[in-house]
Amino acid sequence: MKATLFNIIWVLKISWSVLIIFFSFNTVLAQEDDMMEDAKIELSFIEDADSKIIVATATNKNDEPIEDLELYFYVKRSFSNLPIGDFFNATDETGTIKVEFPNDLPGDPEGNVAILVKLMDSDLYNDMTLETIKKWGVPSPSPSQFHEKRSLWAAAANAPIPLILIISALIFSIWFIICYIIYILFKIRKIGMVT
Amino acid sequence: MSKQSEHQQEFRERREKDLLRHIIKTSLNYKLWIAFLILIILIGMYGYYRQLKYGLIVTAMRDYTSWGIYISNFVFFVAISLVGSLFSSILKLNKNEWSKPLTRISEIIAVSAIICAIVIIIVDMGRPDRFFYVIRYLRIQSPIIWDVIIISTYLVISLILLYSSLLPDLALCRDRLTAIPQWKKKLYRMLAINWRNHPNQLDMLQKVTKILAISVLPVAFAIHTVTSWLFATTWRPGWDSTNLGPYFVSGAFMAGAAAIIIAMYFIRKSLHLKAYITEAHFDKMGKLLVLLSLVYLYFNINEYLGPAFKMVGVEGEHIIELFVGKYAPMYWFVQLGGLVLPIVFLLFKGMRRSLPIFIISTFIILGAWFKRFLIVIPSLQHPYLPIQGVDESYLHYNPTWEEWAITLASFAWFLLIITILIKLFPIIPIQKHEHVSKRHPILNF
Repeated sequence: MKATLFNIIWVLKISWSVLIIFFSFNTVLAQEDDMMEDAKIELSFIEDADSKIIVATATNKNDEPIEDLELYFYVKRSFSNLPIGDFFNATDETGTIKVEFPNDLPGDPEGNVAILVKLMDSDLYNDMTLETIKKWGVPSPSPSQFHEKRSLWAAAANAPIPLILIISALIFSIWFIICYIIYILFKIRKIGMVT
Repeated sequence: MSKQSEHQQEFRERREKDLLRHIIKTSLNYKLWIAFLILIILIGMYGYYRQLKYGLIVTAMRDYTSWGIYISNFVFFVAISLVGSLFSSILKLNKNEWSKPLTRISEIIAVSAIICAIVIIIVDMGRPDRFFYVIRYLRIQSPIIWDVIIISTYLVISLILLYSSLLPDLALCRDRLTAIPQWKKKLYRMLAINWRNHPNQLDMLQKVTKILAISVLPVAFAIHTVTSWLFATTWRPGWDSTNLGPYFVSGAFMAGAAAIIIAMYFIRKSLHLKAYITEAHFDKMGKLLVLLSLVYLYFNINEYLGPAFKMVGVEGEHIIELFVGKYAPMYWFVQLGGLVLPIVFLLFKGMRRSLPIFIISTFIILGAWFKRFLIVIPSLQHPYLPIQGVDESYLHYNPTWEEWAITLASFAWFLLIITILIKLFPIIPIQKHEHVSKRHPILNF
């Protein structure tokens, strides 16, 4: 009886400690969440004859510029995002940062490219991503334009016609001979059956 | 007159008895040989199981050397398979009587080699379950597709070639062999397709033989030329050559002839066929081998002289690597031990006797295998684009034990197929179904 009571006390003690740890953990997280705030990032684009520049301005909830905020600039590609700008890009005392856009990046058939500006892993501000589509890329031919020409490097359906004809003629002639020989062998069998 | 026919009858019976003996009797040596081959195959299969389980990472193949000994072995087997056409077409159309007893050996070697070539190419695939994608997503522009088509065609032609020449002998086995197991009787009965030596049947078989003799030659040339194009259409030093087609074909004929000599030596000894495969056959084969080797030597000079004279860029680096670099011992063994010295030795009559020519042919075959290694691997290690920032293991190629085990197992498969075919069928044609044509002397075979 005494032993059972002792066990129940221990179970209660352990449960209590677990609950305390759990709640305190949540409290800590809640505190951190409360401390983090959303930054405001405004993008503007400057374009002249020989340069294209992305300007990002970061402000806090009181509309004061945020200094030394690290931002990441990317251009969306087929399989992943291509980083542009310097290795680290941080805002100055006016909360502004300028990144030059390369002149030779291919875009879609109209020249559109998707520019991404990301705020990541900051101690004070929540992560965020801004996406803007600009006509700053070099227009690329659409896949339908590739398919128009028959060539050695085209897709299977667009093989050069002379190549298809030559290979088919060769395959047909040799397999015709093989089939003819098999036919003769069947005839040999038939003669044997009769005799 | 009756005495003469009695002699002929006795000779025929003796010939049949000699050439069918090995089908009835199974020696202990034969069983041990089969067990040995199966053991090597099992070790290779374990290596292949590991390759399937862990992927091609168990091989030493990496980004640069992406074709290793599997592909050089594939080229070697394709080369050996050409020998069927040498006997069944070239020598036949040239009315050579002496080569007739060797025709079947050559056809069996051709069938076995082409089967192994197909198997080894599937072994080289990281995902063999995707093999049929080759057909499903077929691109007729790709030389690999040309190779798949021509290899399967050549396999069918080689099988028909072997079968059509066997047909009268299969009927003989069906009629003469009575003290054999039931399944063998069934096999001969089925394969003999009612062959009764009927004049109409004989006429038709002659027709088949003629058609095959003419049509196998372009297919044989195509199979190895297309294999050479797999390399010639890839932009790498050593492969960027217009000489590659005839260079591969001539090398194949030389290797094939050497393979026949080795097979002749073993078959003659183990099946006691000294009266049928004579020293005169070895002498003739020796002369043929010299001719084929000289043609190959000519193409070798063409292949290396131009780049070695100019020494341009990576092409020059490749030549240095072969002539005086890492691969120099192998290169000079192949060129001298496997090509130049055999030509010199075989010019002497004494060297064309069975034992010396067997040893020389073994060197030629070894040289032929390593030659394919030298064609494939050093070229891959010298791409035209500079190699930068890669792992050290990408720069060298030393085959792993799995690769060696699988390669040796492919040789064991090759020998096993030959051994089983020899055990089942007469290795020297017994029944003659060919006659002399007066109207078309070129087709007298």
